[in-house]
Amino acid sequence: MKKYEEDLNFRGEEYVNEWTPWSPQDIRRKKGSLEAARLMLNSALTAPAAGGVPSTEACIVYGQEEIETIARKIEEIAHQKKSWKEPFLYEAVMVRDSDVILFIGNTRCHESPLDAGCGQCGGGLDCSYFYDQKEHKYGIVDTSNRSSDKDIDGPLCSARVNDLGYAVGSALWTAHTLMVDARPFASVGLAGMQLGYCRGSGMVVGVPMATKAKNPYVDVNVDYHLINKDRVLDHTRKIYQTTRIIRGFDYRKWIPKPEKSDEEDK
Amino acid sequence: MGHLIGKQYCQEHVLEAAKSIALAVHKAPMITGKTEVEVEVIWGEDLEPIIEVMGAVGQLMRYVYWDYETIKNCYEKGENPVIIAIGGKTAPSNLAWDCGSCGFNTCKEFNKYAKDVMGGGQLGGPSCNWKALDLHIACDWACASAWQYKIDNRIMGSVGFALNALDFIPNMNTKIGLALGPPRDLVYYSRDEMHKSMTYEMDKQDIFNCIPNLFTAFPGGGTPVYKTKDEWWAPPEFMSIGQSPEAMEAMQQIMFEQIPEIIAKYSDKIQDRYKGKKE
Repeated sequence: MKKYEEDLNFRGEEYVNEWTPWSPQDIRRKKGSLEAARLMLNSALTAPAAGGVPSTEACIVYGQEEIETIARKIEEIAHQKKSWKEPFLYEAVMVRDSDVILFIGNTRCHESPLDAGCGQCGGGLDCSYFYDQKEHKYGIVDTSNRSSDKDIDGPLCSARVNDLGYAVGSALWTAHTLMVDARPFASVGLAGMQLGYCRGSGMVVGVPMATKAKNPYVDVNVDYHLINKDRVLDHTRKIYQTTRIIRGFDYRKWIPKPEKSDEEDK
Repeated sequence: MGHLIGKQYCQEHVLEAAKSIALAVHKAPMITGKTEVEVEVIWGEDLEPIIEVMGAVGQLMRYVYWDYETIKNCYEKGENPVIIAIGGKTAPSNLAWDCGSCGFNTCKEFNKYAKDVMGGGQLGGPSCNWKALDLHIACDWACASAWQYKIDNRIMGSVGFALNALDFIPNMNTKIGLALGPPRDLVYYSRDEMHKSMTYEMDKQDIFNCIPNLFTAFPGGGTPVYKTKDEWWAPPEFMSIGQSPEAMEAMQQIMFEQIPEIIAKYSDKIQDRYKGKKE
């Protein structure tokens, strides 16, 4: 019988600390978040869906460069609309403060509706609201023209969008159960779509997650895109360096000490 | 001190758990943070109008019939199913995101359209799809919460139709229902309640109707034979497509005669409950 060799070498030490970012002990911690992300993804797959139809795809993204790319894309999108600018810029900061990004998309909302005439998309008693605005034959939608100037090429089948909601909800429930901080963001989803994550989907939600002392997605201050931990730390480096050079001395020869009081002299 | 015996106290507790599940709906994370969601809990005799509407629609749709029979049988046996009614204001949109997911280029155009057709679909609608996401993340939290309490449950569009027709949760424009309990395994999945309610022939016919290509013989002739029996070639059977005046007539009769009658019967009683209640 083949032995399970990993058990024979069952020993080790794993120091974990969230500081400094991207150091070995921080990456060790991030790997815990990654495990949670994988369970969240699986939870998204087991979520309820109309008619039990599979329509969820997901992508887990992690790593310093990958996360920075997503944050920059959100910043690019933020400047396209007034209503997006401030919240999306705040959310770009939150993405940089995240361990892992989970993208969840629905592969049917734009091309294979539920066809049940539920009316949630357009408020009618049939699916004409959807099909009248799509290029299709016999109800088979042609999605090959991807040159839409809209952020999301609607209309979408809202029943399938609901399924996306269930998938995202189950992922978030698992995060909540595991005490992992996570929040769903439109900005992250839109950035993910533009970067090609979940490219089979008509709508994508981004769920950044983190396992840090402070939940990155709540309790932010005003002008968070300008005033945040990274900025404060960077500013500290800047100010402190200058403060040093204006106080220079040769520590081997002389170190300033507090003046002794008269009483101490005695 | 105390001693709870039997099953009745568990059945009663489903209602208490329903209130906790309603808390999960309100606690659910949102994408927009701007979607109004309301939850109501309905049980006992107040299920009767919902069951009646589902019974009417069930004549047209098998999945509604399935839900109707299950909830009705449980209710009649005194097993205390509880409905959590969840509604969301998915229109108009107050986001000003102009993202296009609804089909319009701007939220303003969508809102103008929505004003005219508000709540007109089977489950309500129309929907800003970001608000639809918020609503159904909340619905998912209701389902997940029910699972954590180990109460059998299923989110049901069929109940949503009845809630919408009867104008439960009147301030919301899109509605869906979560059926909860009774306290036992497999109420809404592999349903005991449906045992002996269908024949082998009905099941076979459903499969032929719904998955015809599984039974398609050699298609090279252009009009293939359908393998509807063991000796499918003797004599061969073919499929045809056409309109069904009977089906359309039944739909008209149920949707525009039977259901309005049920609504008229219960409407005042239901709407009276909302009078003078804010929030």
